[in-house]
Amino acid sequence: MSRLEIEHVSKRFGATQALSDVSLSVVGGQVLALLGENGAGKSTLIKILAGIHQPDSGRITFDREPIHFDTPLAALQGGIVTVPQELRIVPSLSVAQNILLNQLPVQRWAGVLPRLDKAAMLARVEKLLADLRIELDPHARAGSLSFAERQLIVIARALAHRPLVLILDEPTASLEKREVDRLFSVVHRLRDHGVAIIYISHRLDEIPAVADRCAVMRDGRVVADLEGPDFPPAALAEAMTGRPMQLSAREVEPVGGVTTSLPIGQQSVPLHKGEVLGLAGLLGSGTTQLLRTLFGAEGGTSSGVRQAVAQGRAFVPGERAKALVMNMSIRDNIVLPHLARYSRGWRRDEKAIDRVVGTMMERLDIRPRNPRLPVGSLSGGNQQKVAFAKWLTSELQLLLLDEPTNGIDVAAKALLHDRVAEFTRAGGTVVLNSSDLLELLDLSHEVVVLRQGHVAGTMPRGADFGEAQLRQLLGVG
Amino acid sequence: MNALNPLFAQARTVRNTSPESRSMSTIAPRRLRQHFFDHIPIVVLALLCLVATLSSDRFLSYSNLTNVLLQASVMAVVTIGMTYVIIGGGFDLSVGSVVALSGCIAAEVLLKYGIVAGVLAGALAGVAVGIVNGVVVAKLRVSPFIATLGTMVLVRGVVLLLTQGTPVVGDEGLGDTFTALGSGGFLGLPILVWIAIVLALIFSWVLHQTAYGTRVFAVGGNPEASFLSGLPVQRITISLYAICGLTAGLAGVLLAARLQSGQPSAGEFYELTSIAAVVLGGAALQGGEGKLYKSMVGVLIMVILANALNLLGVDSYWQRVAIGVVIIAAAAVDQLRRKRS
Repeated sequence: MSRLEIEHVSKRFGATQALSDVSLSVVGGQVLALLGENGAGKSTLIKILAGIHQPDSGRITFDREPIHFDTPLAALQGGIVTVPQELRIVPSLSVAQNILLNQLPVQRWAGVLPRLDKAAMLARVEKLLADLRIELDPHARAGSLSFAERQLIVIARALAHRPLVLILDEPTASLEKREVDRLFSVVHRLRDHGVAIIYISHRLDEIPAVADRCAVMRDGRVVADLEGPDFPPAALAEAMTGRPMQLSAREVEPVGGVTTSLPIGQQSVPLHKGEVLGLAGLLGSGTTQLLRTLFGAEGGTSSGVRQAVAQGRAFVPGERAKALVMNMSIRDNIVLPHLARYSRGWRRDEKAIDRVVGTMMERLDIRPRNPRLPVGSLSGGNQQKVAFAKWLTSELQLLLLDEPTNGIDVAAKALLHDRVAEFTRAGGTVVLNSSDLLELLDLSHEVVVLRQGHVAGTMPRGADFGEAQLRQLLGVG
Repeated sequence: MNALNPLFAQARTVRNTSPESRSMSTIAPRRLRQHFFDHIPIVVLALLCLVATLSSDRFLSYSNLTNVLLQASVMAVVTIGMTYVIIGGGFDLSVGSVVALSGCIAAEVLLKYGIVAGVLAGALAGVAVGIVNGVVVAKLRVSPFIATLGTMVLVRGVVLLLTQGTPVVGDEGLGDTFTALGSGGFLGLPILVWIAIVLALIFSWVLHQTAYGTRVFAVGGNPEASFLSGLPVQRITISLYAICGLTAGLAGVLLAARLQSGQPSAGEFYELTSIAAVVLGGAALQGGEGKLYKSMVGVLIMVILANALNLLGVDSYWQRVAIGVVIIAAAAVDQLRRKRS
């Protein structure tokens, strides 16, 4: 069995020790999950393996041979392939062309003029897809596919390089449950082909399903290295954050009193004061549209949104790129929806803004505590906190959350969950759409399952309130 | 309180070992470098003035400096609106044609109804074109480049139709007050320069101190996030083009005052010079970033560069080559700065 060995690797950037004395090994036919909060050193380690950074000390060996990659291309040729979070595909080209993008088979016309050998390309791509049992039309335009399908293109492309080590960087951050399952089966098939897989993740719940081994990083060190099949989430969370965490379902007390009702398809679901209504549904089930409709954003005119805001509604979109103006400061992002309130005549009331922004940054623990920093320079977790802070300053009655903890670290997730609970305790109403079933079950008083814009089932909190029942309703049992 | 104190003390010691505080020592030089990169336009302007001063003794003369400022004033007024549009994520190619339209309309109306009506008519003509641009971009979702390319050609055609291609002069000139506006002085500076300074100050205040200004940056930086924050994105976009039309219109009136006539061919290439000035000032063409005073510095760089090359006796064809190189270099340096931060 081939074996990648990272031995005592350290790396420093300026005054920051990104990695200190990291040793880790991964064997062919094994999936190693690499966990850690933002800034724990996962990315640096991966970038060293991928030839983007060079280690200051320590060495990396492959089958006892020391390896050293000066460039990403060298790493690729050496058999170490990375699937990054941002997928690099060319939307205007076909699936097949994208998969073989840097090794397109060429036929020479009259021995000189090169032209694309379409038949050879198709044959190779079909074989690759069949090996992975991925059902994708090789002729389809890549731009017309979903994120999950594009990800499969990138994985198939990685496989076309015949990788010895495959690195997946948070591949499930934007996937639905069913797509996650499909991804896992592809990963496992690759593993069974003898590929060593390093799987980077934030999500504790998926580790047992995908990994054979799990290493946890914190502050540039490996702080835990566990063999499967059991990966107790509490232990992993504690290793990641360095302090004990409470992950169990919290107490939820219904307050009662219907505030409004939520029209879904032909039905109308009541929303209660002080409660969280969970929405579950597979891709295309209409959960996001439902939230946007409630926020008046589906009409395409800004008056709908302004009316919703005036009624005390707020919407935190699932993609942070839609929630925040990245090159604007934390401060301006937080007050953006309420500028009229924080102005005297034409002039912005900077003192009042300072006060409210200071309070919000404290309350949501936004770091670093410098309100003038552009939001784009923050970590994902802190960006999401700013997206929450934007709305928690207002007179809020109904908070609409779409995938509120997508791709953020455990500590930030716990903090946001606390704020949601605090808000409902104070009598607020929350509609929560999440593909993280544990989060959904943890926070919701009732879960509604949607299918193609209609209610497929409801599940009130009670005896039959659990993951198994929810999966059954979703039809992914 | 006392019971909490040890906790706080502990929290502080923990924080001291965090990576942020450990890197404190490197922050100072990095911030210095950032400052340098942020103020490159001013450094370039200063260097340019220094070189011009050293290589020609005429550069610092009163007559040359007032001439430079006079040339800069009309372009500065055009560039105020251009800065707004670009920060708001847009683009306006029609300003040059608007300068001609407003100048001619102002001259025509002035001859019939007096100076106040003339100035107002010129400004309003600019606003009208701006609103058309804004509606086409915001409501019909035509790309700003194409929409304003269209109005640029269209408006120039309208000017030529209105004037039949001949300057609007009037039988006895455009009147004493208008002449005074164009060539008079106040406290040693031409009135046109004072007008440009006052307009720049007002519009800078609006852009950087008011709620409206913040919304402009938000819409340019991320229209979707602005929409989901309840901002009237379309209305703000239209207002930006209206402002750009207004300043281009005012610039047209000022130019007509300076030339003592409405010239149908006025303002050619103003759009390009103005966009170049905004880019020289470090604003991002993708929107959401920029400072009005830096765009004004950009205008001065463009004008002084041309002036210095003139004083040095550089051939006017070579001047174009030099200016082109400066624009590309400025954009490249700006891209480098962005990569660093």
